[in-house]
Amino acid sequence: MKWRKADLQTYFQSKEYIDSIVVPLVPFGIANDEESEKAAIQAEMITLLSHELEKELTGRMLLAPHYSYLKSIDKQTEVARLNRWSAEMKEQPFKHIFHLTFDPSWKKHEQELESTLLWIPAVQTGELNSKEMHKTVREQVAQMVELIRAYW
Amino acid sequence: MSDEKQQVSRRQFLNYTLTGVGGFMAAGLLISPIRMAIDPVLKESSAGDMANVGLSVDDITAEPQRIDWTIDQVDGWYESEVNRAAWVYRNENDEIVAFSPVCKHLGCVVSWEGSDQHPNEYFCPCHDGRYYKDGTNVPGTPPLAPLDEYEQEVRDGMLFLGEPKPRGEA
Repeated sequence: MKWRKADLQTYFQSKEYIDSIVVPLVPFGIANDEESEKAAIQAEMITLLSHELEKELTGRMLLAPHYSYLKSIDKQTEVARLNRWSAEMKEQPFKHIFHLTFDPSWKKHEQELESTLLWIPAVQTGELNSKEMHKTVREQVAQMVELIRAYW
Repeated sequence: MSDEKQQVSRRQFLNYTLTGVGGFMAAGLLISPIRMAIDPVLKESSAGDMANVGLSVDDITAEPQRIDWTIDQVDGWYESEVNRAAWVYRNENDEIVAFSPVCKHLGCVVSWEGSDQHPNEYFCPCHDGRYYKDGTNVPGTPPLAPLDEYEQEVRDGMLFLGEPKPRGEA
C-alpha cells in the first residue's frame, strides 16, 4: 500500500493483514554541492527501491512518505523525533516498523531506535534508468523481501 | 489535320490547368477529414493491445518461468512505462498458460515454488497464500480466487500478452 487515498481505504478494511510499515529515511542538505548531489541520487534511488519493494509486498506493508532530515543536524535529536513517529505507528497497531536508508550514520544509533533499521549500501553504477540498473534493483529488492520476511 | 490535333486553345489550356490545381486543392482539404473519419478502422488494424513479451514459444516448458516486460500506459495526460510480469508454462494439454503474479488476496507478488515447504505451488510471501500449478487457490489459505490469466496470442513464434483477466472469462 502506498500513502494515497485509494490504498488507505483498502488498508482500513484489512488492517489485520497489514502489520508492517516502511519509512524511507532521506537526508537533505544543500550547503555542499557534491554532498547534495550525492544525497539527491540516494533520494532517487531509495524512492525507486521502496516503490519496487512496495510492489512485491503490497498486501502486508504500508509505504510511508519519506522522512527527511538535515544532514548537519545532531542525530540524537533525530532519533528522538523518529521514535515519536514509531510510537504513533505502533498504536495503529503496526507490529513491524522498518526504516530504509542509505545513510550509514544511523547505524551507530540503531540500538536507540524503537524500530528495525534496514541500512543498504548505496550502489551507484551509471544511469538510473538503464537496463543494468533495473536488474540490480530487482536483485536488491528480492533480497530485501527475504530480509523482511525473516522478521515476520 | 495534324496541325489541328496538336492545337491546344488558350481556353482549353486554362481549363486543364485549373482542373488540375483545383483537384489538388480539393484533395488537400479532404485528406484530413477522411483520415479522421476512418481513423478507428486504422487503429484496430495495428498491433492492438497485445504486447510482445520477448519470449519465443519454443522456450516455454512445463516449468513455470517468470517473464518481465514493459508497456506504455496512458492515464489521463500522464503517459508512463509500466512493468508487467507473468508466470508462463505449458500445461498437460500442451496449451500455453500465462498467469498474472498478483495475489488475489491483497495484491502481493507470488512466485513459483517461492517456499521450500510447498513445492509445486505458487507462494505469496505476505500471508502464505498458495495456488496450485493450474492457478487455483489452495483452500484454507487467504486467497479466495484463482490467479488471473493473461489474454494471449502467438504471432510468428513469439508470445504476445494482453490484459490479465479473472479466470473463467479469459
